[in-house]
Amino acid sequence: MRAPDENKIKAGDTLLSVENVSLSFGGVKAIRGVSFDIKKGEIRAIIGPNGAGKTSMLNVINGFYHPQEGQITFKGVKRRKMRPHDAATGGIARTFQNVALFKSMNTLDNIMAGRSLKMHQSFFWQLFRYGPAEREEIAHRRVVEEIIDFLEIQHIRRVPVGKLPYGLQKRVELGRALAMEPELLLLDEPMAGMNLEEKEDMCRYIIDVNNHYGTTIALIEHDMGVVMDLANRVVVLDYGQKIADGTPDEVKANQAVIDAYLGVAH
Amino acid sequence: MEILYKVFIDPFVQMGAAPDLLVQTLWEGLVAGVLYSLIALGFVLIFKASGVFNFAQGIMVVFAALALVTLYEKGVPAFIALGLAVLVMFVLAYATERIVLRPLVNQPDIILFMATFGLTYFLIGFGELIFGGNPKVMIADQLYLPKGPIDFKVFGGLVSIQKIDIAAAVVASLMVASLAFFFSKTRIGRALRAVADSHKAALSVGISLNQIWVIVWFAAGLVALATGIMWGARSEVSFALQVVALRALPVLILGGFTSIPGAIVGGLIIGVGEKLGEFYWGPLLGRGIETWLAYMIALVFLLFRPQGLFGEKIIERI
Amino acid sequence: MAQNANDKGVDTFPKFLLVNAKVRGDRPAIREKDLGIWQAWTWAQVKEEVKAFALGLKELGVERGDKVAIVGANKPRLYWAMAATQSIGGIPVPVYQDAVADEMSFVLQHAGAKIAVVENQEQVDKVLSISDQLPSITHVVYDDPRGLRDYDHTRLKGINEVQELGRKAMESKYSGDAWEKMIDEGKGSDIAVILYTSGTTGKPKGVMLTYDAVVVSSQNANAFDNLTEKEEVIAYLPMAWVGDHIFSYAQSYVAGYTVNCPESPETIIEDRREIGTSYAFAPPRVYENLLTLTMVRMEDAGPLKRRMFHYFLKHARKWGEKILNKEPVPFGARLIYGLGEILVYGPMKNRYGFTNVRVAYTAGEAIGPEIFRYYRSLGVNLKQLYGQTEAAVYITAQPDGEIYADTVGRPSPNVEIKIEPNGEVLFRSPGVFVGYYKDPEKTAEAKTADGWVKSGDAGFFDPKTGHLKIIDRAKDVGKLNDGTLFAPKYIENKLKFYPNIKEAVAFGDGRDYVTVMLNIDLVSVGSWAERNNVIYGSYQELAAHPRVYQMLGEHVAEVNKSLSEEGPMAGAQIKRFLILHKELDADDGELTRTLKVRRGFIAERYEPLAEGLYNGAKEVEITTELTFEDGRKGAITARVKIEDMKTFPPAAAPMDKAA
Repeated sequence: MRAPDENKIKAGDTLLSVENVSLSFGGVKAIRGVSFDIKKGEIRAIIGPNGAGKTSMLNVINGFYHPQEGQITFKGVKRRKMRPHDAATGGIARTFQNVALFKSMNTLDNIMAGRSLKMHQSFFWQLFRYGPAEREEIAHRRVVEEIIDFLEIQHIRRVPVGKLPYGLQKRVELGRALAMEPELLLLDEPMAGMNLEEKEDMCRYIIDVNNHYGTTIALIEHDMGVVMDLANRVVVLDYGQKIADGTPDEVKANQAVIDAYLGVAH
Repeated sequence: MEILYKVFIDPFVQMGAAPDLLVQTLWEGLVAGVLYSLIALGFVLIFKASGVFNFAQGIMVVFAALALVTLYEKGVPAFIALGLAVLVMFVLAYATERIVLRPLVNQPDIILFMATFGLTYFLIGFGELIFGGNPKVMIADQLYLPKGPIDFKVFGGLVSIQKIDIAAAVVASLMVASLAFFFSKTRIGRALRAVADSHKAALSVGISLNQIWVIVWFAAGLVALATGIMWGARSEVSFALQVVALRALPVLILGGFTSIPGAIVGGLIIGVGEKLGEFYWGPLLGRGIETWLAYMIALVFLLFRPQGLFGEKIIERI
Repeated sequence: MAQNANDKGVDTFPKFLLVNAKVRGDRPAIREKDLGIWQAWTWAQVKEEVKAFALGLKELGVERGDKVAIVGANKPRLYWAMAATQSIGGIPVPVYQDAVADEMSFVLQHAGAKIAVVENQEQVDKVLSISDQLPSITHVVYDDPRGLRDYDHTRLKGINEVQELGRKAMESKYSGDAWEKMIDEGKGSDIAVILYTSGTTGKPKGVMLTYDAVVVSSQNANAFDNLTEKEEVIAYLPMAWVGDHIFSYAQSYVAGYTVNCPESPETIIEDRREIGTSYAFAPPRVYENLLTLTMVRMEDAGPLKRRMFHYFLKHARKWGEKILNKEPVPFGARLIYGLGEILVYGPMKNRYGFTNVRVAYTAGEAIGPEIFRYYRSLGVNLKQLYGQTEAAVYITAQPDGEIYADTVGRPSPNVEIKIEPNGEVLFRSPGVFVGYYKDPEKTAEAKTADGWVKSGDAGFFDPKTGHLKIIDRAKDVGKLNDGTLFAPKYIENKLKFYPNIKEAVAFGDGRDYVTVMLNIDLVSVGSWAERNNVIYGSYQELAAHPRVYQMLGEHVAEVNKSLSEEGPMAGAQIKRFLILHKELDADDGELTRTLKVRRGFIAERYEPLAEGLYNGAKEVEITTELTFEDGRKGAITARVKIEDMKTFPPAAAPMDKAA
């Protein structure tokens, strides 16, 4: 489905690397000189206690924040500043910690909105939804229906998402991100506020997305157990600094990590 | 007792006694309502997509109409002038986005609101400079807009309807229908609704806010042009017309700032209510009733439906 | 026994398939909603699909008499698996798809299934997890490939692959009309299907039905309600249940009508509306749920809408059934009913997907008279029938024009019925089963030498209507210590008519008085709580709330009042009740797969509560183990209050009020 890429990145190659990135708001340093990389095809977790700078990191990667120092290389292209629109065009999709959906629109339209960048027919045809625009709409609807089927949300196709329970909203948000056919999928606490059953469902979807579409996933998560099951590699942040990076087992055994989670004074 | 009779009984007796007059009044109310709806629609479009209350909507109506008439006066054929006027509105939308909105992105709403004040006064000054300050006559004939009255026999009386009013109603309905279609069925329409719901989420899926703003301002500009033509055809085109924007305020209070159906139905209710009030209760309450009656109607409605006409029921959990 | 009205030797379903492909080849046989679109297959297409599937199964080694298990939701390909198996002389064994691995293991082992045709990864996993207990299984065939890419495919095949095998075989081994010849070899007296009943107690029993039995039952049923090839039905009940087998498979093949498979279990109501089914069949629970949803929505609706709804509903209650039964009705009432049809009844029926329904049946359990009358008053021709797996469904049904809320109708065509002295209903018909598979002992218990089958239900013929009335399971009708008749289900059903009560379990046999355990209906009570600012954090908390107790207590009092007016039942009024802290669940074994309460099991599981009901305790603490869907176990602890109830003196009731 994806357009052929000239300098195609193979599984295992570095898809994105963060080098020495620092970010501050006024006097508050949110991120201090953090570096790590995300390899194509892996599930990469970013964990850390509250206020560790995880969401800020995600916002930097996706262009919502611009770091004062350091740079980010995505698909071999270096850049310091990038707008969210460029990130989306480049193949980065994301979900939000507290769900950011188009609440008055139904599930179908929300996910269709994820296709925005894939639809190219001109404003003129759009005006009348005629000819090419009509055909394009139908082709994209098919892709969206496959996502709906994949996430098992057929029954809420026509329900305004604002009326859905939280767990389903998170699923729709994932669907919208998938509709972008991203190369890198950023998930900000995908399991927050869910009950056990919903968490397990979400885990299954994340693994399926990774297996089925080969999508690279970077996720922030609070629940250590979930992370250890899901992720191939884990980077740990604390007070805006990287304190560990490695496989789940390595990270679990790391003294700095244990201290951070137990709240040992710095 | 006398006053109660005059307020609660007499007007209705009059309505029953001369039903043809009632129909005439209702029709005139509807026509006024259609124009209110159109203006309110311009406000709603921009408010929905950017959260900005566009004070300049009124002057945009005047500016569009004057551009059209001036172009014609300069010797451009009527329909080409119309096309050029559309282009002018596009340029205006584009420039506004570039010069006013983009630099102010992420500023508080009140700053953006003030910016539209600035825009208003700029457009007045700039307009007077290039179009001149004198009232102009709308080129209704040249645009093949119908004129003259049609008379209907109703309840034994005669109801007289201006053809231009019928045309206004038709144009307004077409405009609303195509906007509704555009909003619900196309990608850009979907993107517009998406931006209205959440800027953050819209950005994350790659919707360009700048592009959307140009489109909504352009759409509001088109609505302003239509309003300007119709309103101008009934009287004349002058800078005084920009105060009609204030007439749309009660409509927005009634219909809600974000609801298109609210703008339409609200406009019609205010239009009809105003005319009925003026005609039947006006003599009783003296002159000047039209300056505050619309607000009264809106407030009375809000007493019963605080969420506005089409708003979702708001239940605050404490 | 097999003296039936078969047309020209068409006595098996594969033969009916050939007839349909020829006679109505262009008419839709089955539809499925997939990716948001209804996709249809004509009878001619179905024939080709089934043929390829059948020969593919043959290539996998299915021989005459082999069993093929079918596990999954209602999907076209799974229905084709049924026809395909039958066409080569195999015997399909549909299995409940929500059965846990243990239950499934029993059925597959007992039936000795050779191949399992399953819906998706979930079912594949289940079968693979018990595969060491199933030596007879040679292949697992799946419909939906999702998630199965990395599985070992030596014994795992997609339906498409199997059909491909079949198509290849068509070109060589089975060219020409080889398949049609195989079909010809089938006889009406062969076993058509084995349906495992999810009995209330003990292990499931495999009910063997012959083609003759199923065909004659289907033909009679089609004739009874004048069903034609134009009917539209929606298939959503478990394929392993005899009801679905008859309605969505057998009757469809015999009449040639269209079966529609919903997109997912959650979309059934919408799917039904889109299709506009003309013939419907559902257990009372489905009708109850629709009504509860409507009532809840109406509580939240605007005052105008609500008032309009209740006004017209009241009018319909008064006149609707009379209009439906074509009785004389004053013109004014008819006019208002017509207005109601436009404003309320029509939109309601559209919402339920009942706009085009000619006949709708409820069966499986008693339906609340209020619920029953509600649908009839809207103009839905809802009727009751009484059936069993052992009878290929039909034992009695209500003919048009003879509809009563509290009867199950007259004997169906060709069915004889007699009542034993202990109240048990016995029946005999050409549709009855051959026996339980590999269980002659149980067969002998249930079926006499001269063909009478014991239904296990207690009932009597109502002298006034001539209809059969079922009161309860024969073995469940017990006695209180003072000799008063105690029919638990009768009492439970009375309680369940209240939307706030989801489930009720009555005790009293061999006791001094009657007690009940109740389950609140979370939708209904939750919505009530929201409206009345009752704060609760969990199901458990809501169930224990004093105001909920008070509200349900009022319902119990009303039931007592009505029992007091029913002569022999007056002694069986409810003395004490409690509200359970957890929802009764089939996964915990508290309900059967068809969602009937398992009274004995519940009494054991909640023993401290059952004791408390009779030892005068005001409150009982209980810890309950539960199993989550993934098999892990947990426990919850609660203090459950027990409430005493007032009883009413027996009243000389107007006996025939209900009829």
